Amino acid sequence: MSIALIGTVGGLTAVGLYLITARSLSRIVLGFALLGHAGVLSLLAAGGPAGKAPIISSDGTTTGIANPLTQALALTAIVISFGLTLFLLALARRQEELTADDLVEDDLEDRRIARLPDLPGDRKP
Amino acid sequence: MIWLLLGLHLAVIGALATGGRPLGRFALLAGALPLAVTSVWAVVHAGTTSPLVVDQLWVEGLDLGFRFRMDALAALMTLLISGIGTVVFVYAFGYFSPSAQGLQRFAATLLAFSASMLGLVWADSIWTLFIFWELTSVTSFLLVGHKHEDDSVQAAARRALMITGGGGLALLAGFLLLADNSGTVVISDLSVAGGSTGTLAAVLIMVAAATKSAQIPFHVWLPGAMAAPTPVSAYLHSATMVKAGVLLIAVTGPFFTESETWKWLGLTFGITSMLWGAVGALRHSDGKLILAWGTISQLGLLITLLSLGSAKATFAAISLLFAHALFKAALFLVIGEIDVRTGTRDITQLGGLYRTMPVTFAAAVAAGASMAGIPPLLGFAAKEAAIEAVLGLEGLELAIAATTVIGGAVLTVAYTTRFLFGVFGPGPAVDISPAKLTLAGPGWLLAAASVVGFLALGLANDIVGPAAIELDADAAVYSLLRWPGLTAGLAVSVGVVIIGLGLGARLRSFTPTTPIPRGANLADDFLDGVLEGARRVTARVQHGSLPVYVATMAATAAAASLPFLAALNADVLIAWDRPLQAFVGAAVVLTAFASARVGSRLGAAVALGAVGVGVSGLFVLHGAPDLLLTQLLVETVVVVGFVIGLGHLSSNFPPVGTTWRSIRLGVAGLGGLGVMVALAASASQPAGRPPIGEIADQAVVTGGGQNVVNVILTDIRGLDTLGEVVVIGTVALGILALTRTQRETGRNRR
Repeated sequence: MSIALIGTVGGLTAVGLYLITARSLSRIVLGFALLGHAGVLSLLAAGGPAGKAPIISSDGTTTGIANPLTQALALTAIVISFGLTLFLLALARRQEELTADDLVEDDLEDRRIARLPDLPGDRKP
Repeated sequence: MIWLLLGLHLAVIGALATGGRPLGRFALLAGALPLAVTSVWAVVHAGTTSPLVVDQLWVEGLDLGFRFRMDALAALMTLLISGIGTVVFVYAFGYFSPSAQGLQRFAATLLAFSASMLGLVWADSIWTLFIFWELTSVTSFLLVGHKHEDDSVQAAARRALMITGGGGLALLAGFLLLADNSGTVVISDLSVAGGSTGTLAAVLIMVAAATKSAQIPFHVWLPGAMAAPTPVSAYLHSATMVKAGVLLIAVTGPFFTESETWKWLGLTFGITSMLWGAVGALRHSDGKLILAWGTISQLGLLITLLSLGSAKATFAAISLLFAHALFKAALFLVIGEIDVRTGTRDITQLGGLYRTMPVTFAAAVAAGASMAGIPPLLGFAAKEAAIEAVLGLEGLELAIAATTVIGGAVLTVAYTTRFLFGVFGPGPAVDISPAKLTLAGPGWLLAAASVVGFLALGLANDIVGPAAIELDADAAVYSLLRWPGLTAGLAVSVGVVIIGLGLGARLRSFTPTTPIPRGANLADDFLDGVLEGARRVTARVQHGSLPVYVATMAATAAAASLPFLAALNADVLIAWDRPLQAFVGAAVVLTAFASARVGSRLGAAVALGAVGVGVSGLFVLHGAPDLLLTQLLVETVVVVGFVIGLGHLSSNFPPVGTTWRSIRLGVAGLGGLGVMVALAASASQPAGRPPIGEIADQAVVTGGGQNVVNVILTDIRGLDTLGEVVVIGTVALGILALTRTQRETGRNRR
């Protein structure tokens, strides 16, 4: 497996993770897009070494072509991550409409659980 | 027949729980019906030598299913559970006032407990036994918490559930070890467990039994469980449920015959509980608590005898188990009657009842004498067998068991004397309400059973003997004796009774300050600590911040993949497929960095586009022109989307704190590293060579296309591709919905 490809996947993953842990939705969208690239490239890398395009010429030789199966899988991955990115963009824009900002807010329900008073079953002091 | 009986119980439970309200108190009499039927069946099977086996397999490969076995021991327990159960239901009818609420619920729960207990004693598969074991814990919890409006009752019920439920887990673990060792889940087919597995299983099962049978230090739930109505205390906490632990030790004992751990752990539990329980009975002045502590002591004696493992001791244990159920239930029913009729059960406030309640007094004396081991009562014959059994030991066991069992017997006589004196003896006469036959009769009946059991000792032998033989074939030579002859055992018994009576008489007016339930408080504190700890953990883990959730998950996944570094094989790695790949790859990563560094959103969008183009370049270099085309198309739309979607936002990203920033950097670095390790390690362990040639050939021959990737997408994965189209369509609809609302809100604003 090519170290250059592995390194690219690692670098994209790292930057992607850094971005999706941000509070701003537009950065999270950016991070998702980068993670999507990393995913597609790792599929490609997992398929084996690079080769000729898997398009068979009229003489019918198939030697030396790249793995077509992972390419087909990668195509699906590209399309789905595209859909996800666009949907997230729409969500970010909606959030901006409602709150005049695109920050991800804390889950208020979760916050409330952390602050709960005594549980109903607790022994009274 | 077993299924019919369980079905009958279930039907009555269901009927009472759903439509029992109009019955009021009579729900209790309805609840007695299935038990009465069962007790008739138990009488028929008492002392059976041909066990009845019912096997209902559910999942064959896992040996999962219900398996019951009605042997002589099960018949003895069934007789106790159904016989005493019937009596207790009738007693409960007299115990509760006609205006009491929720009696149909009480009756249904009590009957559910009976059914669970019956299932437990019939069970012959570890699964069956475990399920019914847990059911008895749960129903016991409900019954202890019958007066659930009271805080202290809630605490007592919770304590009982936590301790017996925790023991259930130990039981499951121990059973799994035993079953794994024997290769079967059928209890009667299990084999002797030795070695470290045997030791571990022995400890787990012994601890489970100790929690259920309230052995020190797990006894703390039993005195608290006296918060339950007296019928429950009489039934669950003296005659039946607490015997489940003893039964477990009896049934599994034969698999640990080689284990010293089993024997000495059992002896430790048994002897400490026997002695400290008896001391506890002398320290309390609440009649029910005296009996509860006495139960701890008696159960300790049973466990001591069973742990000794000799046939004689096993026989004595089974005899005592039978006798104890009869006399202890009778005494509980008596103290309950007194509680109802005088309004107190404190022995310092009671007095003069021997004159005003003569028949109950006689019944209490009979049951008490049976407990103390005085003839002519069943308890005498059983205790005689126990003393004979410990005197027959040798060496260290003789020294330890004989002294403690005899000491325990003295204390038993003493607390019995103190109890009887305190409740019935001379003192200022208390007012009593009129007698009721349903309240008093059941106690008399059970007390009479102790007398009849001794007078018709042959009958008792027919029930007890085969049950002991079921556990140890050598027990066949022993039987209960009406008159043991002038043996050393008899001399010891006489001494025990004389010293015990003297001690009890001296202590009869001894009223210590009410002991502080330190153990119970400790258990409650522990429970509160666990709850508090759980809440703190929840507050920490479920903090509500999405970025921290994501970072935690990413770091965990990355950390989990790092160990695969060990599987790495450097030979499979090459620097690059083509030199250009390294350059383009570096450019992609650098552009990605730039997209994160750039302050403006528009700039970020442009950088993202550049990353996409770079990735397309990598596709070309890998030999994937289809991916290149798709990626370029997609990237164009995404960049346009970014510009349209975020174009009007404030152009700069908000600032972030430095600590959080460095945590994110750390997580990001770890994540990148984890992915690289995972990729390289997976390449080191190839599952085989990809059939590239075959796929390509088939694409031409059967797919009829030159572009292999296209053939895969349209022919092999046609349905997936359709799904993809649906996803994109759905996304489009979602975006449409989101932007449409936005436009409307915008209009309203204007």
